[in-house]
Amino acid sequence: MSGEEKIESALREFLERKRISRRDFLKGCGVLAIALGLSQVDGAAKVALALATKPRPPVIWLSLQDCTGCTESLTRSQSPQLLNLILSDLSLDYHETLQAAAGAGAEESRLATMRDYAGKYVLVVEGSPTPQDGGVYCVLGGRSNIDVLKETAASAAAVVAVGNCACFGGIPGARQSPSGGVGVRDILGNGVVHIAGCPPIAEAITAVFVHLLVFDRLPELDGLGRPLETYRNTIHDRCVRRTFYDSGQYVKSFDDQGAKQGYCLYLLGCKGPTTYNACPTLRWNGGVSYPIQSGHPCLGCSEPHFWDGGGFYAGQSAPLASPSGVITAVAVAAGAALGVGAILAGRAKSRTTSSPAPPPPSDSSSQEEKTR
Amino acid sequence: MNDVLAFARGPLFYGSLIFFLVAMAFRLFRVLALRWQVDRAKPKGNAVEGAVVSLLKALLIFPFFPGLKGLPQRSALVFFAGGIFHLSLFLVIFFTAAHTLVWQSLLGFRWDPIPTPIIDGFTAATILALIVLAINRATNPVLRLLSGPSSYLNLLFVLTPFLTGFIMYHRLIQPYNAVFAIHMLAVDWLLVWIPLSRIAHFMFYFFSRPAHGAEFARRNAVP
Ligand code: HEM
Ligand code: SF4
Repeated sequence: MSGEEKIESALREFLERKRISRRDFLKGCGVLAIALGLSQVDGAAKVALALATKPRPPVIWLSLQDCTGCTESLTRSQSPQLLNLILSDLSLDYHETLQAAAGAGAEESRLATMRDYAGKYVLVVEGSPTPQDGGVYCVLGGRSNIDVLKETAASAAAVVAVGNCACFGGIPGARQSPSGGVGVRDILGNGVVHIAGCPPIAEAITAVFVHLLVFDRLPELDGLGRPLETYRNTIHDRCVRRTFYDSGQYVKSFDDQGAKQGYCLYLLGCKGPTTYNACPTLRWNGGVSYPIQSGHPCLGCSEPHFWDGGGFYAGQSAPLASPSGVITAVAVAAGAALGVGAILAGRAKSRTTSSPAPPPPSDSSSQEEKTR
Repeated sequence: MNDVLAFARGPLFYGSLIFFLVAMAFRLFRVLALRWQVDRAKPKGNAVEGAVVSLLKALLIFPFFPGLKGLPQRSALVFFAGGIFHLSLFLVIFFTAAHTLVWQSLLGFRWDPIPTPIIDGFTAATILALIVLAINRATNPVLRLLSGPSSYLNLLFVLTPFLTGFIMYHRLIQPYNAVFAIHMLAVDWLLVWIPLSRIAHFMFYFFSRPAHGAEFARRNAVP
């Protein structure tokens, strides 16, 4: 058999075993190729080959302070069949939501995976760790989340933080949150891959695993630890409404004529210009749409501390702190009092030294000219 | 860079704005406290009318129609550079889409922005105008005598927000956040610089105009 025939037969055997049509499979591979920043045709072939022939790494999926929305996003992936190909074979060995085992049995399966695949498994973290008050706000099997996280990371081949909470603290890390969530990097140090988003796009999550399979290494990361292939551009760079931004045509309220025309959402608080994510290209729900396309401004959910970014509808140029009317009035009054005081003090001084008072100036601005 | 931006948009902006308000009020009231000289001559015209007419002209006409009083002999280019610069400063600060959101958050209400391509044209013209004004200041023999380092710093500190805003809108330099942070730092600094410099004329202008107008009118001269 030639090399090509070997690949072909491996692929056929794989598709039969998985009961998936060739057409669906290649279509899904094309989507993943785009998520990896590869060309759709050549890239899809590479992805298909890797999926059909390479063994998957086992995965331990820790859920810390989370809402399970990231898991929800993942399991509602564009192509559930495709997800199965990647993740069932990835044999999610420990996932609190998806695994059958419970209680002590669940803990046992985590420890067994760590033992059997030391140095080979991928640790995925969903939700933010919390070291606050000795880690009492999140416990797994009676142990502090920080202990469990460190223990599980120690012999992992790679650590992937999924969702804004795991990456940057997210909602449990927002101002005034009593449980003080932090990012996984704050506990484990750099090197953790960040799949940012609230939640991240399913394909952005799977893309990391596919990258591992296809290239046998982790993807290149941006300054905030996010894979460049998915997070290279801002939402604004690829936005469907961009021409309206460029021509200055804005939606001014959610139900106006501009909203019906699909104008730019900048004035309603869109954070697209400063948010790095692949929503406009990968889109959601099987590539149907993404928030801006559906008429809602971008919240900036793949950026650190988006929750404290000054309000979802406040506009990204709006100041994050501005004085209230009372404080403004006090400031102006204080300045005025100082100004008048300076003159009165000067006059009192010249009186006590009993030199003749200078004649008042004829005009305010000419005096100002002299004092400058 | 996100942290620098958040600081420049948050606490630093807050602090700069408070300083601006205190310092401008200080300067204004220090002048007002000097009081007016009592003019005992019999008025030949209505001082209030003179003040109002002069203020209206100052608000509505002189800033926007630079050529109105006849072009000066020397250089039409410099004259219009000054006019365009002031007009577009006004338009950019109040009518750029991004800036209307700043005003909304400060005042609680918003007005419609001017379409960005128009603002952008003014921005480009202003950047050129500021360069023209700087060259003029450096080459004109009289202006040279009157100019110190702060005269050039005035131009530089006003130019920086224009330049960074232009770069931001066109996304000429990435990441956008970094340029945004510089834009904000430049604006924060400008808020501190204005009360310390002659740029404070933007406030005094609207007081000295009616003061002059009133005085002119009392003497029955056109303000
Ligand atoms: C709190 C104060 C300010 C904030 C938050 C702010 C914010 C912004 C933002 C976000 C943009 C970019 C808009 C975009 O990408 O579409 C921008 C543009 C711009 N800003 Fe500001 N800005 C402020 C004050 C100023 C001031 C005081 C000046 C001038 C002295 C200025 C001059 C400009 C200019 C010239 C542009 C570019 C307009 C264009 O070319 O379309 N900004 N500003
Ligand atoms: S809707 Fe948001 S991301 Fe899209 S063009 Fe407007 S500002 Fe940019």
